[in-house]
Amino acid sequence: MRVAVIGAGVMGLSTAYFLAKSGVEVKVFEQKYLTYGASGRNSGGITAMLDREELIPFAMRSLEMYENLPSELEFNFLFRMDGYIKVADRDEDVERLEKSLNLQRKLGVDAEIIEPQEIRDLIPDFNSSAVTFAVFSKNSGVVFPWPVVWGLAKGCRELGVEIKTHTKVHDITIGEGIRGVKAGDEFFEADVIVNSAGAWSNEMSRIAGIELGNKIMKEEICVTESIKPYLDPYLLDVSHGLYISQTSRGEIVGGITGREVEKIETKSSMDFLVKYARRVTQLIPKLKGLSILRQWSGVYDEGKDGLPVVGFSKDESFVQANGLGHWGMTIGLSLGKELAKLIIKGENPKLKPFSPERF
Amino acid sequence: MGKSRKIVCRCEDLTEEEIIHAIDEGYNDLESLKRYTGATTGACQGKGCLMHLIRILSQKTKRSPEEIGVTTQRPPVNPVPLLILSEGDTE
Repeated sequence: MRVAVIGAGVMGLSTAYFLAKSGVEVKVFEQKYLTYGASGRNSGGITAMLDREELIPFAMRSLEMYENLPSELEFNFLFRMDGYIKVADRDEDVERLEKSLNLQRKLGVDAEIIEPQEIRDLIPDFNSSAVTFAVFSKNSGVVFPWPVVWGLAKGCRELGVEIKTHTKVHDITIGEGIRGVKAGDEFFEADVIVNSAGAWSNEMSRIAGIELGNKIMKEEICVTESIKPYLDPYLLDVSHGLYISQTSRGEIVGGITGREVEKIETKSSMDFLVKYARRVTQLIPKLKGLSILRQWSGVYDEGKDGLPVVGFSKDESFVQANGLGHWGMTIGLSLGKELAKLIIKGENPKLKPFSPERF
Repeated sequence: MGKSRKIVCRCEDLTEEEIIHAIDEGYNDLESLKRYTGATTGACQGKGCLMHLIRILSQKTKRSPEEIGVTTQRPPVNPVPLLILSEGDTE
């Protein structure tokens, strides 16, 4: 079997890696460079404390993979399991967090309610009066997204996968007869074409003649100068959509969760910086002396119903592997592994909730 | 300090040798080289090292500086404290 994978983000590369491990011939096409898309622009928070029942098992499996894959690939993902805190200060968010927590615990996630004052044991300078409710999971953490992409790419290449960067796919042929993708001046014949193009998945699906209709989301992030290790857990303020963590290089990285946009664009805004600065200095007042060095934005896609779109489309030679939403870094590794099984065996019940044919 | 210890990025403490090593590892376009080494992502945001990075990449890959291009410039131009930003106006 020959497979063409479009998009070298976490989803595409994980799929390619596990396909190649099973002996499938794979070629990956990336329109820009590795880490260009959302897999290289996110803040790397990894947790199974998710709201959707369908996603939690995949987050749990990915957490195991973040621990085990680096030694298999001989590439350090700079993953550290220092916990994940979610906080809220609005009643409706508290209710949602409580409801999700019950669901998570039912599925075996190690998560608990903690008092806002207890956050100070985890983040010494936290202003606990800024929130009314908090949940914590010890078995969560932060990964550096770039080495995840490079490590998977290394693993792929060692298994003979060619990753063509700076090569945009401009035509896709599916259906009966000869199938494949056209990129640059090459036509790569393939039995199966995997659309893991993130925010560009709608466009790739369209040129294959299949309507996808994922939402396009834009998110902004910024980074401060480096300081000594200070902030162990990842913190997400669900009421303000704000998240913050410290990278292994010492920078404080933070952003505000995405909102739907009409079309793909990655401009940075002053509006974001001001909103971020206001809330982050309420949560941890001591950070106010730190300087922002750099800000950027990224785009990702999300299935119409908020769930990923992963599996065979109405044409079995065209496989959707997109719509992962805000949690792509958390669920992509295990989704890719399961998708490889689906492609090889022709079925995988684990992926049923994400079938493109559910709409 | 010998020739092999030429510092090209002061913020991230990177030598020319380390940049060359990264290029040899396959991080041979400017954006990848920046991310893999951390060059241009320190306090100066590339003001001190970007030219060196382009020069080394050009010498190693025999591509012209025009072909190599420059990294995407990210705001702010100079570091700005969160305290000052928090006093700003929103839309």
